[in-house]
Amino acid sequence: MSSELEHLARGTAELIANADEREAEDAASRPDEPSLPPLQWLKVNLFSSVLNTALTIVFGLAGVLAYQRLLNWAFSHERNWDAVRVNMRALFTFTYPSSQYGRIWVTLGIVLTLAGLSLGLSRMVGQGVSLKRISIWCMAWGGAVIAGIVLVQPHAKRSADGEILLDADFEPVRESFGTAMADRGWWWLIGVLLLATGLAIWVILGDLKRRKTFVGAIPFTLGVLAFAVSTLWWFHWGNYGQQGDIIEPGRTVKDSAKLPWTAMWFVLTGAYLVGRRISATDRAASVRVVVNLSWLLAPFITFWVILRDPQIDYAHVMSTDLPMALGFMIGGGALLFFLTKPDLGEIGRILGVGLFGIAIFNWVAAFFGIYPMLQKARISFLLLALVALAAHNFAGERAQRLRFVYAWAAVMAILHYLVTMINAPSTVDAPDEFVGGFLVTVYIAVFTMIFSFPLGVLLALGRTSTLPIFRVLSTIYIETVRGVPFITILFFFSTFLNIFLPDGMEIEQLAAAGLGFALFSAAYLAENIRGGLQAVRRGQYEASDALGLSTVQRTGFIVLPQALRVSIPPLVGATISTFKETSLLAIIGIIDFLRVANSVIPGQTVFLGVRMEGLLFVCMIYWIGAYSMSKFSQRLERHLGVGEN
Amino acid sequence: MTDTQPSLQLAATAKPPFYRDATFVKWLVQVATLVVTLFAIGFLAREAGDSLRAKSIQTGFGFLDVDPAISLGEGIDTDPATGGRALWVGMVNTIRMAAAGIVLATILGTLIGIGRLSSNWLVAKLASGFIEYMRNIPLLVHIILFFVTIAVVFPDFGENVDPVTGEVTQGPWNGVIHVSNKGFSVPRVHIEDGFYQWLIIVVIGCFAARWISRQRRITRDQTGNETYPLISALGVVAAFGAIGWFIHPIFGFVGDLLFAPIRDLIDATPPNLVQLLLCVVAIIAAGLWIKGFFDARRTPGDSAKLTDDDWFRVIFAGFAAATACVVFLVLWPGLSSWLVNSSRDLFDVLANKFGEGRGNIGDDPPFGVSMPDIEKRGNFANMGPAGLNLTQGFAAVFFGVVLYTAAFVAEIVRGGILAVPKGQTEAALAVGLRRSTMLRRVILPQAFRVSLPPLGNQYLNLTKNTSLAIAVGYTDVVQVGQTIFNQTGRSLEVFIIWMLFYLACSLTISVVVNFFNVRLKIVER
Amino acid sequence: MSFSDATAAVSDELAARDDIIICDSVDKWYGDFQALKGVSATIKEREVVVVLGPSGSGKSTWIRCINRLEQHQSGRIIVDGVELTNDTRNIEKIRSEVGMVFQQFNLFPHLSVIDNISLAPLWVRKRPRAEAERLASDLLERVGIPEQAEKFPGQLSGGQQQRVAIARALAMEPRIMLFDEPTSALDPEMIKEVLDVMKELAVGGMTMMVVTHEMGFAREVADRVIFMESGEIVEAGTPEHFFTDPQEDRTKLFLSQIL
Repeated sequence: MSSELEHLARGTAELIANADEREAEDAASRPDEPSLPPLQWLKVNLFSSVLNTALTIVFGLAGVLAYQRLLNWAFSHERNWDAVRVNMRALFTFTYPSSQYGRIWVTLGIVLTLAGLSLGLSRMVGQGVSLKRISIWCMAWGGAVIAGIVLVQPHAKRSADGEILLDADFEPVRESFGTAMADRGWWWLIGVLLLATGLAIWVILGDLKRRKTFVGAIPFTLGVLAFAVSTLWWFHWGNYGQQGDIIEPGRTVKDSAKLPWTAMWFVLTGAYLVGRRISATDRAASVRVVVNLSWLLAPFITFWVILRDPQIDYAHVMSTDLPMALGFMIGGGALLFFLTKPDLGEIGRILGVGLFGIAIFNWVAAFFGIYPMLQKARISFLLLALVALAAHNFAGERAQRLRFVYAWAAVMAILHYLVTMINAPSTVDAPDEFVGGFLVTVYIAVFTMIFSFPLGVLLALGRTSTLPIFRVLSTIYIETVRGVPFITILFFFSTFLNIFLPDGMEIEQLAAAGLGFALFSAAYLAENIRGGLQAVRRGQYEASDALGLSTVQRTGFIVLPQALRVSIPPLVGATISTFKETSLLAIIGIIDFLRVANSVIPGQTVFLGVRMEGLLFVCMIYWIGAYSMSKFSQRLERHLGVGEN
Repeated sequence: MTDTQPSLQLAATAKPPFYRDATFVKWLVQVATLVVTLFAIGFLAREAGDSLRAKSIQTGFGFLDVDPAISLGEGIDTDPATGGRALWVGMVNTIRMAAAGIVLATILGTLIGIGRLSSNWLVAKLASGFIEYMRNIPLLVHIILFFVTIAVVFPDFGENVDPVTGEVTQGPWNGVIHVSNKGFSVPRVHIEDGFYQWLIIVVIGCFAARWISRQRRITRDQTGNETYPLISALGVVAAFGAIGWFIHPIFGFVGDLLFAPIRDLIDATPPNLVQLLLCVVAIIAAGLWIKGFFDARRTPGDSAKLTDDDWFRVIFAGFAAATACVVFLVLWPGLSSWLVNSSRDLFDVLANKFGEGRGNIGDDPPFGVSMPDIEKRGNFANMGPAGLNLTQGFAAVFFGVVLYTAAFVAEIVRGGILAVPKGQTEAALAVGLRRSTMLRRVILPQAFRVSLPPLGNQYLNLTKNTSLAIAVGYTDVVQVGQTIFNQTGRSLEVFIIWMLFYLACSLTISVVVNFFNVRLKIVER
Repeated sequence: MSFSDATAAVSDELAARDDIIICDSVDKWYGDFQALKGVSATIKEREVVVVLGPSGSGKSTWIRCINRLEQHQSGRIIVDGVELTNDTRNIEKIRSEVGMVFQQFNLFPHLSVIDNISLAPLWVRKRPRAEAERLASDLLERVGIPEQAEKFPGQLSGGQQQRVAIARALAMEPRIMLFDEPTSALDPEMIKEVLDVMKELAVGGMTMMVVTHEMGFAREVADRVIFMESGEIVEAGTPEHFFTDPQEDRTKLFLSQIL
């Protein structure tokens, strides 16, 4: 099994390598036009006709006005940006206790390590950013800063005790224009520095050189991040910070965050360098498989083990959990070893069906309370039965069968470990849920994708199946879910789910909402994957049939790998949608990112009614997340060459 | 043909054991899945019933006929008498928002999409900036931002109080357009009693216009002179509408002579007959389906050859029909009387509406206008019910949904235009078309064809997204439903109503979009 | 004319061999269109049969029925002593006995050439991986492109792809090979390389059924030529007989159009 995965991974890697060549060819064949001189550029792009000139003037003026309004609003004395700065932790982790904050950093460290490794191992390295673009960015930002300095109205004057001075009409008294300009010395410096850097790159290099010199995208990003982290060491970043629930004047955000963030930057960079190193060796393919599997496991481990800090009852583990896990690993492994014998014939399938029947009966019995059994055993048994049913597809030589058995044992070990952890009570001392804020947003989005993906694949296969009942059932499910708004489904799960469950079974609201997310998103994923399945040509099915592959083998080895490759860009799109949809958690009362900004912060006595600032910050974070994912998707799309052939 | 081949004299075709029979196994797996699914659903339903009983929560749709004791912020009826009426108000609010939203989002989106392709750098950048801003931030955040912004940016309602009379005025044009932090209020055009008769005249006018434009088109094709078929058609409709304004009561008889008899006929129908009719329809449907199946398998000069697979399907169709009959006759006998009652009510309403305003030519205009007013209760001023009010909540949801969808529409329109091959432009210019003609006759029709299916999807999304109104308290169907189930505990029932309502909306939009899609495809051939 | 006459027309040596494919009045409908009308024929072991006919005459449908890519509705098809019925075991058995080569190659684009070939031996025949890969490289050698093993189908020319497809079918060690217009999608300069491989196979004693428009191949390699039209076998015979002295008017018309 695992070797098969490796094999497929290698195949996919090769494909991407081909795409690399293709892209290189594309870039080579594209006519490379020299840039126009600035004045000519203006004439062509802004003032080419009377209509265009009019449009430019109208929209230009409107843009400048809007910019001025926005800045006046943002830098007004009425704004209280401290509401965001002080509540940084509340926004991201809500009430996760400060004493255990190390767990958050460990989690982030794991994620960044994996990200760094993946980036380093990735073959998706484009040309990077040309110096021409960097120069334009510098000049544009420099220009924007300088324009802002001039446009923003002078600050309101304050009295000695910090009160705003008001005139007869109760309007604030403002500084004179000259004083205001002089007061903005630091901003002038930043603006002029940016503009000068941009101009210098532009002038010194000359057209050809600035278009042809590239800075790698990843080193460039790492550089920008390094700069951002370094500001924590020398910039003030706000007036006061928060330690637990107490707001401390004088202690700023940077005091609590500069060391961990610096460490995080080194973790990311180090992992990236290690990844680069490995990618040059011939172990790259297998390391890539390991990293990808770690990505799959990381959300579970970080959430249930690291962040939740379960209290393990070792007596119970020794008496029940461990024996059960070993039983399934060894007993199940032995059974599967037997069932994958090449010449077993029908006995294997009959045995599989029998096991499956017993597994189903297990569940029925549980619902009617005929005999008790641990849920973990029931799930494992059902899994074993399903794998046993499909086992004959993976029959082969001894080494192959052993690999299959090892894979089974590994899955069982991880499953039982995780379930044990999930069952143990949390020791994190948080008033409500131990996660909140951005953490809940991210985890719900990630778990939604993990759980809805297999369901989506099944539904898509069902909907494209030739078997009418499967098709009808899948279609009814998909169309019903797609026909109703998500919020009603979320209401359904968060309020009514417990009604449907048997006595004694309760489910937390967050878990119920997560289930709603997964079931909802599965219907949309199914439609994306269906598109991919329809792109697989009929000939592929015929060729597999003619070779004698079974339906499971045909689906797993031939159809799905091709279909999923085509579906990758829409799947990233679905991930973005899910990420945005997590904001709906705020409506059903879960304290997510949006709810912290919209309800929690305006409710604090210090920041009573301060809402816009937090909302804008939420906007910014959502925007950065969704925008970078969509850029990644576009890049991937170009890489896979979808839509080109 | 005589057959002398020795190897053909093998034993007669042996039937394989059932567990190796491909058809049998195929159907066994399917039926087993179906049974497990039905069992699971049945089990969950039973559990739900049990726990509802255990918590002594009442079930049933009775709450639809009971006074919900709630008042709604806005809608056709702010003080609904029954729960059903309240939900209906919510549905109308949703539909109103969705319909207006679809129109505005399409127009805005198209403009922005074209703007993104503009040769003007600034316009293209602003358009793409707008798109990236809108679609990378959750709609809910947009809606809340709009909601807060309206409260912050616009003046307080009831700020301007005349110190002498105590009368409240509101800018910018008192009595006509009110803009405030409570929302916007503009004159409302509403239908009056004469509307329905007037509608009949306009419909007749539409038929006449269709005939005339066809005639004019034929004339144009024959003579080559421009005859302005579209403009004349619009003119005819306008003329009918104008004349109808004065003479519409002559159609008052429609209510009495057409709809009233139908109502009486339905009223006289015994529910048992309807039950039988439903069963007959189910059986005929299954029969037709099976017949179609046999026809498809029929071979020339030979009887139908059905495989085992086909037989399973036939049995299934029969089984479905039988189940439907059992449902109609035994499990849900109330369905027929419900059908009878609701269609009788429908025609009763129609008979009344079309009968009103008869005989008083000139007295009952089809439309009326009412100006915004200000309601003052104690010290608090608020928008009165007369004008067309865009409350803060409505405005927030509306602009949020419209601008959000417009960003997606813009991308679709842009994609559609880019999808038209360059060769089309070259070919059109080569045959000497003017640029504007080329855009109108060659590029846009093709772009529209590509864009239509994803546009339909966006319309569906827009309709569903209006449900986020609950975050800002706009009384759409979800908000009303939630209020009702908080009060009555009928959560499941409300959920079923939501589901049916949204499915009906989705279906309507899909049907309309598909209709145009099919028409465009036929044009393509 | 019936098939027994056709068989009689071939040499006694051929007639003495065992039957490997027997079709007895096979019918196949698509809706109310009858694609095969009572097709009956017997193919002998190690025989090379070329099926000719205008497009839409049912030739492809026929050979696709033989490994049950299509299901016939009446009549019997017996391949290597196993009758094609709903029995899953029989279908599995026949599919691993019968190799098939398609007009559009239908290689798996996400697998390398060597994986394309070793997939079925590995998972259907349950061979050890090393053995399957060795077999695959041997076969690549045999079709003349051993150096392309690690490439992906998209990187090969049409002729090379078709040769890989032949190797993929051979990897199952089939007793019968079916060719469905193997050269129709190829550029003219690549046809020969594929036909050469097929000739070599025929010389090696493989039972082959070939649907093709390559008359030269039919003349040179075929033991028997079967002409189909409108779902019926119109005429069959040895190539010399068929091309020089056709009996039926429809055959004559077809030959006059094509030659």
